[in-house]
Amino acid sequence: MKTLVTITPGMPPRSQKAPPARRRPMVANLALLGGVVAGFGLVAGQLIFLGLKSGSQIAMAVAEPSATSFARPDLIDRNGRLIATDVEAPSLFADPALVQDRDEVVEKLATVLSDLDQADLRRSLSDKARRFVWIRRGLSPRVAQRVHDLGLPGISFRKELRRAYPAGELAGHIIGSVNVDNRGTSGIEKYVDDVIGVEPVHSATLSDRAPVRLAIDLGVQHTLEDELETALRRYHTEGAAGLIMDVTTGEIVASASLPRIDPSRPAMALDPKNLNRVTDGTYELGSVMKTVTIAMALDAGTATADTILDVRQPLTAGRFTITDLHPAGRPLTVAEVFTHSSNVGAGMLALAAGADKVTAFFKRAGLLDPMKTEAGPVKAPQLPAQWERAELITVSYGHGIALSPLQFAAAAASLVNGGTRVTPTYLKYRMETYAKAETVVSPTTSLEMARLMRLNVLDAEGTGKRADVPGYRVGGKTGTAELADNGGYQKKAVLSSFLGTFPADEPRYVTMVLLFEPEASVETGGQRTASTNAAPVTARIIRRIAPQLGVPPLQTALSQ
Amino acid sequence: MRLLNVINCCFALASAFLLYGLNYETRRLEAQVHAKEQKADKARSDIAILKAERSHLSRPDRIDPLARAQGLGPPRPEQLAMPGQGFDALQTRRMADGR
Repeated sequence: MKTLVTITPGMPPRSQKAPPARRRPMVANLALLGGVVAGFGLVAGQLIFLGLKSGSQIAMAVAEPSATSFARPDLIDRNGRLIATDVEAPSLFADPALVQDRDEVVEKLATVLSDLDQADLRRSLSDKARRFVWIRRGLSPRVAQRVHDLGLPGISFRKELRRAYPAGELAGHIIGSVNVDNRGTSGIEKYVDDVIGVEPVHSATLSDRAPVRLAIDLGVQHTLEDELETALRRYHTEGAAGLIMDVTTGEIVASASLPRIDPSRPAMALDPKNLNRVTDGTYELGSVMKTVTIAMALDAGTATADTILDVRQPLTAGRFTITDLHPAGRPLTVAEVFTHSSNVGAGMLALAAGADKVTAFFKRAGLLDPMKTEAGPVKAPQLPAQWERAELITVSYGHGIALSPLQFAAAAASLVNGGTRVTPTYLKYRMETYAKAETVVSPTTSLEMARLMRLNVLDAEGTGKRADVPGYRVGGKTGTAELADNGGYQKKAVLSSFLGTFPADEPRYVTMVLLFEPEASVETGGQRTASTNAAPVTARIIRRIAPQLGVPPLQTALSQ
Repeated sequence: MRLLNVINCCFALASAFLLYGLNYETRRLEAQVHAKEQKADKARSDIAILKAERSHLSRPDRIDPLARAQGLGPPRPEQLAMPGQGFDALQTRRMADGR
């Protein structure tokens, strides 16, 4: 051993002959190395063999859906009441390779799932190369238990997230719906996907995002839908719609369109009859439009509420003659033009202002441009091709211009809230959205408009007198428009509407009620005008919602 | 030298056992954590379902007819008294109505 110690690098060892004891470890090392190589070789060989032999099966296993659903944040109303939430639900799938008797499986499943497409399932199950076939997603616990009790081999469950709408059909049009993967496809649900975000999840993992707070108040929404439903029966209307909006923030506290739709049944929304008339339809709204015309005249200074207009002569434009429904037979003040709903008076005001001022004002009020909300684009307004004498007159009383009720209500809200432009929103109000708002009319005009609207309800001859609710100072304007049909107007099919605001001394909310094709009855005195149907419906709604919205009744008004 | 080897061997063995033990302990803890997480997930899911059920049962379309069946109705303006102005007016009106 000593000789080895003396060896230094770079120098040859003194003895060239290796010690005999070192040869055996060399052999052992080689043998070990050989063993290891052979071992790895075997493993590699087996891998290649396996890879070649069962390639198709491995490919099928990879083809299984990896992310099955999406976790979504809850939707809550402005007071925190749950509108939409994710819940865990079992989904049923089959592994065709493990299914022994295909016909038995299909027949037994059909006894529990009555609407099962048997031929399709038989076809899917006969493909033994597949390892995964969805049978039904989002089962109720009871149905899942019944399928489980059948004890079929090759059939199992996977937990997935499903969207549940505890409030049922309430606000169904606004909420929209989700698809089978729990992704939003319309309404607020789509907005949640696009803006707020959803996470893909493999199993049923709930989202930890904060809930999305909507501007909707479920109580007010129910009241609105309930009263519209009653109106539908009482006046035998073909449809009804309504909305309630906060005039300062543009928050849509309630918005309803009948017939209602169920968010958990997305196919319902596809039926044209179930259209959301508040945003997806445009209508010639009729005399409610005079609110805008008169605000324009007052704000431009072309008239005051006391300016007297001679409305005795009908207006003519080409071959058209415009008259009043109930001619007063005497000159009227601008305030009376509003309360008597004089077409001639409104036409005169628009003509006095001229096309430029009218269009500029309509643009400022947001009536000419397409509008968008969180629930998607609102149907674009249909405007006259040119603004000549005839158009100016008809538009002044709400004909020849078709608007969605939401767009009109937003403009009306801007006229009574002190004059600031309102952007409607389905989400709970945030400070930053209000700061940028522009002015539509001066605060004085705004105050005057609220006064005129109140006058229309208070006045014994006002068209809106049936909208009054003691204590809540309701103001408003009626509108009865003949519905357009094949280039003409139908005399008996009308759209009856009421634009309301309360409390009129300092407006906080605007309401809009639309009744489509109401029938005349004994109760309405044989009339189908808005003053006999839409106005009293508004009164019934405000009576119920004012306490919910924290609007106190004026006690002195009550004790009179 | 030999002593050193023996000590090394002992250390190696001891650390191997320790590592083995730790490994098992970790797995056990992992399993525990997993079980707890599953329990928490289950609880969260149950809470979601219960919340949905509570909201479904307390939805206004259901409460409204139930309340009406009990003889209740929406509050009338004259039933609301505002602090300061309301109560006296309410009393006066009641007296005037003879209630």
